[in-house]
Amino acid sequence: MTSTAPKLGESVRIDRGTRIKKFLVGAGPLLALIVLAGFFTIASPTFSTPGNLSILLTQLSILMVIGIGLTFVILLGSIDLSVEGVMASSSLVFVLFATNDRNDFEFGIFAVLAGVLTGSLFGLINGLLHVRLGIPSFMVTLGMGAVGIGVATVLFGGRAPRLLDDGLRVWGVGNTAGISNLVFIAAAVLAIAFIIQRFTRVGRYGYVIGGDEPIAKLSGINIRKYKVLSFVLSGTAAGVAGVMAATQLGVGDTTIGGGLLFTAITAVVLGGTLLVGGRGGVVQTLIGVGIITVLANGLILVGVDPYIQQAVQGLVIVIAVIASGWSLRRRVRVIK
Amino acid sequence: MRISGTGRQQMRRRLTTAAALFTVASIALVGCSSASEGGGEGVTGAEGEVQLVEGVRSLSNSYHANWVAGGELFGESIGEEVIVLSDEADSQKQLSQIKALAGSGQIYALNVDPNTSADTEAIVRAVTDAGGYVVTQWNKPDDLNPWDIGDHWVAHISFDGRVSGEEVSNALFDAMDGEGGIIAIQGILDNVASKQRYEGLTNALAGASGIELLDTQTANWSRSEALTVTQTLLAKHGDAIKGIWAANDEMALGALEALKAAGLDGTIPIVGFDAVPQALDEIQGGTSGYIASVSSDAFWQGGAGLSLAYQAATGQIDVSELSNDERAFYGTQIVVTADNVGDFLEAPSLEALQADFDDPFARSQGGIN
Repeated sequence: MTSTAPKLGESVRIDRGTRIKKFLVGAGPLLALIVLAGFFTIASPTFSTPGNLSILLTQLSILMVIGIGLTFVILLGSIDLSVEGVMASSSLVFVLFATNDRNDFEFGIFAVLAGVLTGSLFGLINGLLHVRLGIPSFMVTLGMGAVGIGVATVLFGGRAPRLLDDGLRVWGVGNTAGISNLVFIAAAVLAIAFIIQRFTRVGRYGYVIGGDEPIAKLSGINIRKYKVLSFVLSGTAAGVAGVMAATQLGVGDTTIGGGLLFTAITAVVLGGTLLVGGRGGVVQTLIGVGIITVLANGLILVGVDPYIQQAVQGLVIVIAVIASGWSLRRRVRVIK
Repeated sequence: MRISGTGRQQMRRRLTTAAALFTVASIALVGCSSASEGGGEGVTGAEGEVQLVEGVRSLSNSYHANWVAGGELFGESIGEEVIVLSDEADSQKQLSQIKALAGSGQIYALNVDPNTSADTEAIVRAVTDAGGYVVTQWNKPDDLNPWDIGDHWVAHISFDGRVSGEEVSNALFDAMDGEGGIIAIQGILDNVASKQRYEGLTNALAGASGIELLDTQTANWSRSEALTVTQTLLAKHGDAIKGIWAANDEMALGALEALKAAGLDGTIPIVGFDAVPQALDEIQGGTSGYIASVSSDAFWQGGAGLSLAYQAATGQIDVSELSNDERAFYGTQIVVTADNVGDFLEAPSLEALQADFDDPFARSQGGIN
């Protein structure tokens, strides 16, 4: 890490030896993904059929959107634990504003916007509480996650409201050219996230703040502002994920994001983004999400007993992290 | 922080005092409770003087709303009002509401769905202390039974997933004309209900030679996990899947969404458990392939359970003469299909339930132990 932030558009000169080393370090997770996919292709006749590949892409999409949002926060060395609560709230806000079986609203695309903005709002509150009151991010977001579940429970009212807008249902269950529409949404989110990370101040300064916060401060970066913006990005992504899940399942539900939080964090770290911040990115997260999705899908295809599936999954992830992050082990010593 | 020698001594002394006070207080409490237990034993109330009480989680879910409706039908049959306690899934609130019932000094009959197994003992002890009569349902610790506590805990009612699991599986096999492959989606693997229901499926499979269990996976009771698992299994087994079995309706509905996304809804029969409203809608609609679920009949639970507690409270039933199989029994679960789904969508008439009110044991499937 250089000690001063590179200006926008300016490339940093790196000699060839470092570059090769850096490539190998960065390629670790990708190699792990390729090895896994190769193994399952040999072990299961179904794994690399077009049908299953299309399913893999579908299964990858919602987790990827969550992971992308989390990446921006983890790059700062912070964490966002509110994802499941935010998804619950945004899915219910979305469904209750769209055509549904609970009320007479039918705001169509504006319902989508309301759902996504619910996520942004949670992100904004997370960010403000974190930087203004100086509360550690894991505490703020854990609390706000519970608030999200609470809001969702009130909106839920004992029975999951159903999404009856067929135009919006198609986003979740429809296909275009044999590929689920959810995949296209996820791809768009990835593209936008990549542009933000690469070409905007939020993205660039995220690396600087995560790499060395005091230095970032000394060089005059408005740390608070960029931190809050990163939390807004994460919340927005969770909002999008909540809407996506609702179009897929056809209901708004308090448990719609159940179990996705830690899977997403695992995916981000597995991809090569450091929990201490400063290194990683959304493309790496794509690879991490790929590993997790391929693993869950592959273990079912090769017929691993469900009683030991989770243990095997955990074991493979630990091995993948060790293998792909061996050269980084000194850097990952501290978790803040 | 450093503590000086004298400071440490002081602290020790204070702790000793606190411990002594605590011991005295607990002895006093135990003394009080056993005294009132002795006083309440065996006292029953005359008809018309017994308060009817239902204790449920929340009125905003249809299951407990139906439960209360059943209880009100029983109240109507004897011309009494029913008090409803709704705890909103808060165990402390549930217990304090029940303790507050003692305030009126009237003997009461309580039919309650304890939030968790751990709450049951505190509830039945509170009722015993107050001289009321209680019937509990669903949750109790395995090693705690009504006869361990006394006559004021009249009975505990639960449901055997093995029986309903077998029946609903047979409904699935019938819809498949007795032939083809199925996939099974289980709940949390170490959960009792999930295990019992799956055991029911296994038993049904033993008697159905044409049916093959292609795959069994878990989706942890979750709708979205079931969707993902079903997608993968569809890729793995393709056309071989002729039926889907899920250990609850949430997961069955998730599987249905996977079928919808693959354009297969309506061609593959699905069964689940619990009779949640959306599942009933799908069964009634009849086009999605969702053919059956299992209901414990909340109307019966609310009405017959309350009737049992009331009959004990008025002395019509002498609790001490009931057998252990009557004091902890499995009720009957009913397979809901398109034929009878209407019965579960709206409250039954009083006439339909009167026989169950007169004999609360009519639907007993035998003792739990």
